[in-house]
Amino acid sequence: MSRTDARPGWFSWLRGDNVGARLLRLTLIMLAITLILLPLADLSITTRYPWKELGRMLQGMILPDITATESPLRALLLTIAFALWGVMLGIVLGFPLALIFMRSRLVRTLCAFVRAIHELFWALLFLQVFGLSAITALAAIALPYAATFAKVYAEILTQIDRSPARTLSPGTDRLSRFVYTELPLAWQRLSGYTRYRFECALRASVLLGFVGLPTLGYYLESAFRQGRYHEGGALLWAFYLLIALLPWWAHRRLLVPWLVGTAFLLGPWPSVNPTLLWQFVSHDIWPQPLLEGDFAALPQWFGQLPDLLPAIGNTLLLGLMSTVGSLLVCLLAWPLVSRHFGNRGTRTLGRGALIVMRSTPELLLAFILLLLTGPSLLPAWIALSLHNGALIAFLAARHADEVIPGLPGIRGVNLYSHELLPRIYPGILALLFYRAEVIMRETALLGMLGVVTLGFHIDSSFEYLMFDQAVALLMVTAVINMAVDVLSRRLRPNALPERRDQPRPAPVGESV
Amino acid sequence: MLETATVGPDASGVIAGFDHACLSHDDHVVFPDLTLRILQGDRIALLGRSGVGKSTLLDALRIRLGDQGAWCPQANALVPTLSAYHNIYMGRLAHFSRWQNLLNLLRPDRTCWREISALADTLGLDGLLRRQVDQLSGGQQQRVAIARALYQDRPVFIGDEPVASVDPRQGVRLLELINARHQTYVVALHQRELALAHFDRIIGLDEGRIIIDAPANELTSDDLDVLYVTD
Repeated sequence: MSRTDARPGWFSWLRGDNVGARLLRLTLIMLAITLILLPLADLSITTRYPWKELGRMLQGMILPDITATESPLRALLLTIAFALWGVMLGIVLGFPLALIFMRSRLVRTLCAFVRAIHELFWALLFLQVFGLSAITALAAIALPYAATFAKVYAEILTQIDRSPARTLSPGTDRLSRFVYTELPLAWQRLSGYTRYRFECALRASVLLGFVGLPTLGYYLESAFRQGRYHEGGALLWAFYLLIALLPWWAHRRLLVPWLVGTAFLLGPWPSVNPTLLWQFVSHDIWPQPLLEGDFAALPQWFGQLPDLLPAIGNTLLLGLMSTVGSLLVCLLAWPLVSRHFGNRGTRTLGRGALIVMRSTPELLLAFILLLLTGPSLLPAWIALSLHNGALIAFLAARHADEVIPGLPGIRGVNLYSHELLPRIYPGILALLFYRAEVIMRETALLGMLGVVTLGFHIDSSFEYLMFDQAVALLMVTAVINMAVDVLSRRLRPNALPERRDQPRPAPVGESV
Repeated sequence: MLETATVGPDASGVIAGFDHACLSHDDHVVFPDLTLRILQGDRIALLGRSGVGKSTLLDALRIRLGDQGAWCPQANALVPTLSAYHNIYMGRLAHFSRWQNLLNLLRPDRTCWREISALADTLGLDGLLRRQVDQLSGGQQQRVAIARALYQDRPVFIGDEPVASVDPRQGVRLLELINARHQTYVVALHQRELALAHFDRIIGLDEGRIIIDAPANELTSDDLDVLYVTD
């Protein structure tokens, strides 16, 4: 009896009921939707001489002028100070929340909400009350970071091995149990994640310059905007050096000296007027009809909001396009840094290129591209895809490096397509969907550059002091981000059924 | 892999060998001084405790043999997210151009599909070719690994525990299949009864040396005990 099957047709591999076929279907559906919606996106280039401008920028990068900025060291140290103290405050707030995170739905929802609003939007909000001060900067970093720490610390703590705790005598108090059997087991991952977040905080701190706080970003923005590319190049190099030398200057042992040293740099401290603060919280940010109890007038108030649908559409479209773009960038880029391909020289070059793409804050990258193309979705799309694609490519390459090909002597395209990609693709998609939430948040943010996403209207509402409208738009943004977060968690490959003995990357620590 | 000496194929029927060679694995010397000759027509069972260096020796042999050797790795070397068909096809990746290989991922080549179906039938894998490998049982995965080696269609079969996780009866069948298609083979095993019954020559390894190298009909199961004594 022979049950030999017929040769599968062209698309039969799409119909299979296994993880591989499902992931391929998911990928193709995403790709198809993106292609169908692409004509709706505004991808125009409105500047007249983009290539000439790019040439001037590159010239600025190659010949940086380090004397142009007045006090670059102060800007650099202030960037570090905001990041360091912002993260510290985030830990102080976030750690206690992590302990009750899994038990309290309220805490989880609250954290999800706070996380759904980007650091820069928080900065815009605090700016109205505390002005251009250290409080604005610290709160803008500490608040969303506390919410993130609460979530990730809680996830790490639930994943630790429980058996040491069970060997303790039942009379052991909760604190001792935690300090002796839980914290030590989680310590390495906790500190590893915190370190990664510190790097993110440095980027966020640079970005605070875009709202006017005197960090590196402030000088970067004005230099680039005014076409002083040699000065901009010098500042950009300073930032890359800061990130590249992180392992040395941000050594564990130097933490206390840095904290003490930068404490004196923090400032300026504002004089907060309690009456104005109360007025802002209790009155300014609420819709007028709601305060007066005139519910009939609410629809009219809503009618005054700027045209939301195109902005929401653009936000979602850019999010989808950038997610797919990141996937494509990652698929092309990961072999550049994998031990399986090229030689030492090409890997070093590849790593350099990817590190630059990964460490440049998306907003900055988009801002630079925007100067080349003019305000459309194009620069935002390229910036988000490059940044996130490079980030995932690094993790994918690390995953691939652990694979020992079953066929000895296999090389090149064959190695990529048969041995490596089939093994690491589920991990890549998992990372991509983890990242989708971040991409969404940044999509809204890019509106601050003039791309018509939700952030554009938030920014202009704040500018016209229409706080009620700005806060309402922030809420809309937060709700959309939370919805996307839920959706991407559903689609994430480890939510798909699979055999347990198959190792999966646990990307929690590095991609959230 | 450190190579200090080679013996090429010659008139006396030696197809591969080591002459006072030093073999290492991950910068760690496993065989400091190894001398071994594999002759045309040898049916060799390689025995020894796990971790004794069977895989290191097979790997060195594989490199020595070049495209004369059909390599059958342990089942965990298969690509779990590809189908059984594609895993078997991988045996001949080097045969085809990279574009043919990519195209074959999308739609199996007609000739290859026919050949591999026929091969799968003889191994009891019929009806499973479209299945993703991680949906197969351990024994089925092992047979896919063997099918890949057979599909390579090369004179010398080198197997790293190809019958480790199948039941004894099936193990015998698979060994017979390998026997039918190859004159010469070197197979690492841990079932000593299978080794005594189905092989001509037995090589036993311990502590970086060959401590047994004799025709199977001159050995008994008790003679092999020395390989598994732990002290």
